[in-house]
Amino acid sequence: MGKTRREFVKLVGGAAVGAGMLLAGRGKAQAQAKPAKGVPSGPVRIGAMPGLSGVIAVPGTAAWRTTQMWAEEVNAAGGILGRKVELSMEEETTAKDCVERFRKLTLETKCDVIVGLMSTGNGLAVGPLAEELGQLWLAWDATTQKGVVETMPRTKFSFRSTDNEAEAIGGAILTAKFFPNIKTVVGINNDYSYGRDCWDAYQAVLKHFNPNVKFVDALWPKLGETDFTSHIAALKKANADLIMTSFWSGDVPILMKQATAAGLFKRSKACFTTGGGAHYTLKKEFTPEGIILGYNSFYFKWTDTWPLLTKFVNAYYAKYKEYPVYETDHAYFVLQAYKEAVEKCYSILGRWPTKEEVGKVLSGIQVPSLSGFRGYREDNLMSCNFFMGLTSHKNPYDFVTINQMEVLTPVQIMKPFAGAKLYDWIKGWKS
Amino acid sequence: METILNILFSGVFHASTLFLVAAGLQVVFGVQKVFNLACGTFYGLGAYFGITVVKCLVEHNFPKALFIVPLIAAGLALGLVVGPIIERGLMKFVYDRDETFQLLLTFGLVMMLEDVIKFIWGTSPQSMGGIDMVYGQLNVLGATVPVYNLVVILCSLIIAGLISWLLMNTRFGRIIRATADKREMGEALGINMKVVYLKVFTLGTVLGTLGGALVVPAGAAVSEMGMDLIVLAFAVVVIGGLGSMKGAFVGALIVGVLKSLAISTYPEMEMLTIYIIVIAVLVIKPQGLFGGSRV
Repeated sequence: MGKTRREFVKLVGGAAVGAGMLLAGRGKAQAQAKPAKGVPSGPVRIGAMPGLSGVIAVPGTAAWRTTQMWAEEVNAAGGILGRKVELSMEEETTAKDCVERFRKLTLETKCDVIVGLMSTGNGLAVGPLAEELGQLWLAWDATTQKGVVETMPRTKFSFRSTDNEAEAIGGAILTAKFFPNIKTVVGINNDYSYGRDCWDAYQAVLKHFNPNVKFVDALWPKLGETDFTSHIAALKKANADLIMTSFWSGDVPILMKQATAAGLFKRSKACFTTGGGAHYTLKKEFTPEGIILGYNSFYFKWTDTWPLLTKFVNAYYAKYKEYPVYETDHAYFVLQAYKEAVEKCYSILGRWPTKEEVGKVLSGIQVPSLSGFRGYREDNLMSCNFFMGLTSHKNPYDFVTINQMEVLTPVQIMKPFAGAKLYDWIKGWKS
Repeated sequence: METILNILFSGVFHASTLFLVAAGLQVVFGVQKVFNLACGTFYGLGAYFGITVVKCLVEHNFPKALFIVPLIAAGLALGLVVGPIIERGLMKFVYDRDETFQLLLTFGLVMMLEDVIKFIWGTSPQSMGGIDMVYGQLNVLGATVPVYNLVVILCSLIIAGLISWLLMNTRFGRIIRATADKREMGEALGINMKVVYLKVFTLGTVLGTLGGALVVPAGAAVSEMGMDLIVLAFAVVVIGGLGSMKGAFVGALIVGVLKSLAISTYPEMEMLTIYIIVIAVLVIKPQGLFGGSRV
């Protein structure tokens, strides 16, 4: 019987991990996986659910690569408390499929923890299931938000990503800071909940700092659009001082390129709140300097003084000839947080912890991750810094990076607790 | 005036690539009666291959200003290679089968070729950088138009003219028109249908790959780019008339300009506007505007 596409990808992924482990074991003697006292001898089964096709393929692939790299490194160092890590991959596709695959990873594969998912639509479906099954789910990017409202303010097993609108809030703060004199803004965002929420949140925050600003138009290309020439004609018609977009994938370079070719940035400034999601595609030839560019929660050039970042970026580039995007740190953090939570439990209990016990330790945990310390708040939402700045050509690459970098903290851009009302929270800010 | 020109230029630019894909769809359906869903994926393949060829040449000091030449050659060459392989390797087995089999096969091709793209080029968007900007911009009555976009429009017009000439003034064109009307009669007159089908399918593939190669310098290639276009190509063939080249040309213009106009006036009505026209055509003139005239 022929293999399905998913099985084939899984097979290739498995082979890649296996080959990587073999190679890793060549140069250095691999630490013997000898479980600690009171720890089961079998492998730790980690389920991973990356999106490898469609618009989420860019961040999904990056996250899956990182997961494999992390597993190789941890196994080379002896595993988690001496147990080797074994990855089981199920692709993220539709909500219905994700639910079935999550159930399969839990009940058939008997995973100790499941990481992944990027779509909020899928997160909304999987979150309640994780609670029902008592399965630890550490999301990469998927939230359990409906609009800007958190649907699961209290969870035991579901650990969600940052609020969707965080980067739009950061973008608006920086717009007010870098371009205080703008009077008109036009938005171009994808026609789905993330795009709409970002536009609403951006307007609310910018209006807070700059009450006279006018939002003259909003364009809603569908997710996956690959030609923006018609939208650029509409942006020109709007004739605004600033263009705001929350594009985050393959559409970023297309919009940037076509807008530059049509001379749009001669008149208007721009804020790409999440454009760093495909940062290496923003070539200097068509990306002007001085545009606000957000890298989400991971910037590959954040600093030279955080060895974890330097080591990872070098290893990632050596392996894939690409500079990593933000999803890599979502992937790295959730795994590292799980590992440290298990080890912390063990240091207290002297045995391998249950999923519930791991969950309790994950709440409020802080671990060193690729972009500095990152953690989970008490409401089980990921808490991390966001990186934004103005595009610059002053670097050795053929793509732009940012200067005047701002590190936006969770206190600045995330609601203080999951159940808080976003717009009431913004209204309560001091100007 | 500036706004009108911007809308018009962007609409016609979009129409020009839409026409190439729709024309590929039309020519194959007109003669072979196969609704080839994979024509959008040929467009994606052409885009990726065009990037690879041009990047490789530029790295070896090929003059940037002349990149359009190898780009067109890449689109043509890819179509000429891929078309016959798919026609002989897959399509020939379903000509006499039910239309459902044909649709399933071409849909399977879409899935397979998307995976081929990911296997060869990965999932990251690919672009040629700003190479198209070597041609600069043109100011037309206050509207700034990238010259490369005008080159793409011109290329599409030339291709439309060439197809028209091919169909009306060559022996091959006459054979195509004859077999599109009555395949059995063509066979009875000694026409080798195997060769005709091979050539026609290759022509359809070339139109797709060429379209992808031409448009990619103005944007970037992403693995799902073909799927995006095929949906609009459906609208074009319904409006223009299934199987009609003239219909593909006029339908693409209507869809392209309408889309651009809707985005500039009522952006949320973009698809609604197009499909109101599609539904109106289906109700009033189900065969499409040029549905009577074959190929």
